[in-house]
Amino acid sequence: MRRMTKAAAVMSVAALVLASAGCAKKSTDSAESSSGGDECVAEDSSKKVGMAYDVGGRGDQSFNDAAAKGMDKAACELGFTTSESEAQDGESEAAREGRLTEFADAGFNPVIAVGFAYSASVAKVAEQYPEVNFAIIDDEFAVADNIANLVFAEEQGSFLVGAAAALKTESDHIGFVGGVETPLINKFEAGYAAGAEAVNPDIEIDVTYLTQPPDFSGFNDPAKGKTAAEGMYDGGADVVYQAAGGSGGGVFEAATAADARAIGVDSDQYLTADESVRDVIITSMLKRVDVAVDTYLSDVDGGDVPTGLTRYDLEADGVGYSTSGGQVDDVKTDLEDFKAKIIDGSIKVPTKP
Amino acid sequence: MGPSPCFVVHDPLEPAEKHTDVTTTTRADDIVVRLRDIGKNFPGVIANHDVNIDVAKGTVHAIVGENGAGKSTLMKTLYGVQKPDSGTIEIHGRTVTLSSPADAINAGVGMVFQHFMLADNLTVLENVVLGAEKLHGIGAGARKEITRLSDAYGLAIDPDVLVEELGVGSRQRIEILKVLYRGASIIILDEPTAVLVPQEVDELFANLRDLKAEGLAVIFISHKLDEVLSVADTVTVIRRGTTVDTVEADSVDSRRLAEMMVGAELPSPSTESSTVTDDVALEIRDLRLEAAGRELCADINLTIHRGEILGIAGVEGNGQAELVESIMGMRSGVTGSVVLGGRDMAGSSTRERRDSGIGYIPEDRHRHGLLLDSPLWENRILGHQTTGDAGRRIFIDRARAREETQAIVEKYDVRTPGIDTLARALSGGNQQKLIIGREMSGDPVLLIAAHPTRGVDVGAQAAIWGHIKQARRDGLAVLLISADLDELIGLSDTIEVILRGRLVGTFDPATVTPEQLGTAMTGAGDAA
Amino acid sequence: MSDARLKRVALAIGAPALALIIAFAITSLVLILAGDSVIGVWQQILSVPDVRGVTNILNAATVYYLSAVSVAIGFRMNLFNIGVDGQYRIASFVAAIVAGEAWLPGYLNTLLALVAAVLVGALWAGIAGLLRVTRGVSEVISTIMLNAIATAIVAYLLRKAAVDAEGSNITATKDIPEGSWIPGFSLGSDAPNDVYGFIVVAVVVGFVYWLVINRTRFGFDLRASGASESAAIASGIDVKRMVLVSMLLSGAVAGLVGMPILFGDAHNYGSTFQSGLGFAGIAIALLGRNHPVGIALGALLFAFLDEQANPLQILLDVSPDIVKITQGVIVLTVVIAYEVVRRYGVRLEQSLVASALADDDTDDKGAEVKV
Repeated sequence: MRRMTKAAAVMSVAALVLASAGCAKKSTDSAESSSGGDECVAEDSSKKVGMAYDVGGRGDQSFNDAAAKGMDKAACELGFTTSESEAQDGESEAAREGRLTEFADAGFNPVIAVGFAYSASVAKVAEQYPEVNFAIIDDEFAVADNIANLVFAEEQGSFLVGAAAALKTESDHIGFVGGVETPLINKFEAGYAAGAEAVNPDIEIDVTYLTQPPDFSGFNDPAKGKTAAEGMYDGGADVVYQAAGGSGGGVFEAATAADARAIGVDSDQYLTADESVRDVIITSMLKRVDVAVDTYLSDVDGGDVPTGLTRYDLEADGVGYSTSGGQVDDVKTDLEDFKAKIIDGSIKVPTKP
Repeated sequence: MGPSPCFVVHDPLEPAEKHTDVTTTTRADDIVVRLRDIGKNFPGVIANHDVNIDVAKGTVHAIVGENGAGKSTLMKTLYGVQKPDSGTIEIHGRTVTLSSPADAINAGVGMVFQHFMLADNLTVLENVVLGAEKLHGIGAGARKEITRLSDAYGLAIDPDVLVEELGVGSRQRIEILKVLYRGASIIILDEPTAVLVPQEVDELFANLRDLKAEGLAVIFISHKLDEVLSVADTVTVIRRGTTVDTVEADSVDSRRLAEMMVGAELPSPSTESSTVTDDVALEIRDLRLEAAGRELCADINLTIHRGEILGIAGVEGNGQAELVESIMGMRSGVTGSVVLGGRDMAGSSTRERRDSGIGYIPEDRHRHGLLLDSPLWENRILGHQTTGDAGRRIFIDRARAREETQAIVEKYDVRTPGIDTLARALSGGNQQKLIIGREMSGDPVLLIAAHPTRGVDVGAQAAIWGHIKQARRDGLAVLLISADLDELIGLSDTIEVILRGRLVGTFDPATVTPEQLGTAMTGAGDAA
Repeated sequence: MSDARLKRVALAIGAPALALIIAFAITSLVLILAGDSVIGVWQQILSVPDVRGVTNILNAATVYYLSAVSVAIGFRMNLFNIGVDGQYRIASFVAAIVAGEAWLPGYLNTLLALVAAVLVGALWAGIAGLLRVTRGVSEVISTIMLNAIATAIVAYLLRKAAVDAEGSNITATKDIPEGSWIPGFSLGSDAPNDVYGFIVVAVVVGFVYWLVINRTRFGFDLRASGASESAAIASGIDVKRMVLVSMLLSGAVAGLVGMPILFGDAHNYGSTFQSGLGFAGIAIALLGRNHPVGIALGALLFAFLDEQANPLQILLDVSPDIVKITQGVIVLTVVIAYEVVRRYGVRLEQSLVASALADDDTDDKGAEVKV
């Protein structure tokens, strides 16, 4: 028993420490980032915005970072005082509620919840704090007078990069790496496949997801991403689209090693990814969470607090594809053609694979 | 029954008197080890205080004392395993501080432990040079040195044979050679005869005489007094942590030494008139145990009647433990029948066998007999979860268990501050008395006693013998396994000898000698 | 003697207290090294929680407690059930399906789901038990594997069983009808949230655990097997059977871990269902020394730290991960402190025995033999 106790102690401590190591980065000082440039207006302590991130938080080079970018921009231009807090992996509903309540109690208004995991907690806390405005990204289920639902047509953006992949592939064989198999990421896959098949109905598409819920490490494990992508490149795919958050870096590494190509997600990753892997990124599916957040905060600042659903689609420029690096310039006319058809409704993009 | 050659006391009334003067017959400059006022304290155990010993070169100096008297502590001090709290150690006339065994070896002190530390799959040469490669290399130089030492001390060791091919006696000589090889002139032997049969003991003693003839000093730790007297020149007696006397071996007899050790009269294991009945309690037919393709026991046939003690003699590791575990139902792969009181127990679980009336005093009480970190009253329940009154129902009757434990503690003279004391805190003898009390409390038909007095002090030993005899008188069948031939001869009604898992001879304890048993145990003679 | 008893009690309380202080000191050191406000952090963590906080602490502790009891059952038997995590997740999923389908009305539905959870938890742990008993596979290895398998199975089945809520990205099972929820109680009229009604079940589980382990023959057999397998075998205990049974029991309790959340809060099983509770349970069982009251204190402590740390990032811009460090260090220091105290206790005991024997040493050796 005693020997076992020691072993157990070490293991449980290791588990705790590893659990925290994954997300142990301290948020960068928001005041600093928002007052970085000279052109920023002074912070107004009466305009307080709180942001509750999903797992990964600021610095995930993906979804959360995009939200942070939007908030930083608004803070700089409009003088918001900001505060932020990030979710722990596998945390309880009470922890999410507690986070939002804490913001509301401390006088933050509005409070932005990043990610659909906050759906239930935003609904609940919004009811308890009717005078506080909430925004939630990627969820249209939590509905109240003081909740703004900021959602995206990821499938539309994914359709365009899918088309780009099909146009650029030389082997008629492409791939998709999803971070965690959730309905949200399924949307990326569905749009991507539809776009590729619109170009070439016979194209071969490899699909894989790194993890299954409740294991959300698929959004934060570059090694897993690398392994998955390596398999695809070895199998003959030459373009791989990653919708895997922090794991995407591994996909780019694999692409570099295989001398193949990859497609980024959420932000223009040709500009944000590590320099050594940028050349393989032909385009990125843009999901303008930053635009959504910035727009929301501008509206709040202007006194016209948005509530209800705002869908950021191709038409609203909430999703799209990036052209940095110039690698899709040759197919741009085709992509713009698809884009127009989606906007005018002649192409309906599926949301489920 | 034959008198015990070891603890012979038949005139119980002569009071013990203490020898208080330290006898010194050797010249001062011959003294190679001089311990003065050594003291060492551990909370809770008898350690050492005021230990004074002079060991002269060219002698065998025995240190005797009961288990727990402080011999091990003293030897650990001398071998550098622990530092004394007070006192001085002089070796070869120089005061030394021994902080580690390496210091002791450098000072010329070597130790041969009871449990050998040899690698079976290496040769003698490799074992000897292991860790001492710098002395004579690992090749021809080392071989030459080993041969020289072997010849000089008559150890008869072939450096190139694999250790796994050697018997216990040879392995012990290798251990001695290892110590000599490292330049020791003072050799400590810790209970060296415990693992040997009588013939091997004689060989060892011949070696020791060679060693002392060459001018080495041998410190010989033992509690077997006859052996001590036959080999030692000087004997120091330790009792309760301190040296009570040092005497010349030819000026005392074993009884005198024993009295000095315990400070009181001594019991004998000898049994009284036969109580054997015609009533068969245990009958074993064609018992065979096989594990992993190896035959561990075979062709075991024995019968024990009520009121009979059947002794099993044998060198350790010849299937005694396996036989006991087979009878207890603790082994799989057993064939043959074990009939207890007319009921065949084959296929029954250990619990069913216990419930049917087997009391079991295991060989290794720490591993098999006790929950060391549980209080005594919980240990009383162990093995009697379903038989004792305390545990017959779903819930354990704690009050009842405590009462019963208290009764055992009183009846079996278990020395403890209370029944809430952890089993670990008790001395070996008192642990054993608790186990015996527990096993007897279940009104067994058969008592299996494996090495019941191993590692217990003389006082407890006498008490345990008394209890076994009482069990016999009460009509129990007793299966006694022991390595102590005197115990076997003294207590048994019949002795069976076990060798390589088979019973190879039956002896009448009234007529057999330890030498005859020793021959049968090693398979040297043609046993009946 | 009573003095020594007193000493022992003092040691038993002093050890964890000292461990806590050391853990806090180490955490403070980390904070200093990171350049964060040590005083501010402790002011927040050690502040008195409000009603909402107290409720959250009780709720989190309820869940932790069940998890730790499940682990402790294994520990008592020298089994290291790392699989509580997988066991409670798969059990919660099945219970959510059963309760969501609502084949029975009202609380009968609840009861059926609870039974299903217990059975599924036991079954899942039983696989590891069976592998250990029949094939000698270490339960550590098998339960880790079973955790991964549970994750995959639940993910696979969840997609089949999930109901689509329009506009939600959360995958979840059908909601349990309100009549089958386990009602909570509030700690005051102004309390915004309820304490899980299931806390009562957790208390009962703790009591039954104590009763079975400490007062029954089965419990004795279990503890004996854990304390010394060889002695247990010699005493007639079927250790293999005990291994299987205790794995089943451990898994059965593990099956309950997710129930307070399922019936008191979430009302369905989805991708945001709390995970990782099995690992917290290991740490808490160690902290509580497998004792039902100790585990309760450990669970409350962990829940308290979690709750108090949650606002750290908002108020002080310090990552709440800091309490993960505190919790980890607490587990280590407590284990070390217990070991030190245990050794000291043994020596204390031995000296008691020695002094007790010294008293009647005059009529000691060679005592008359009772023949």
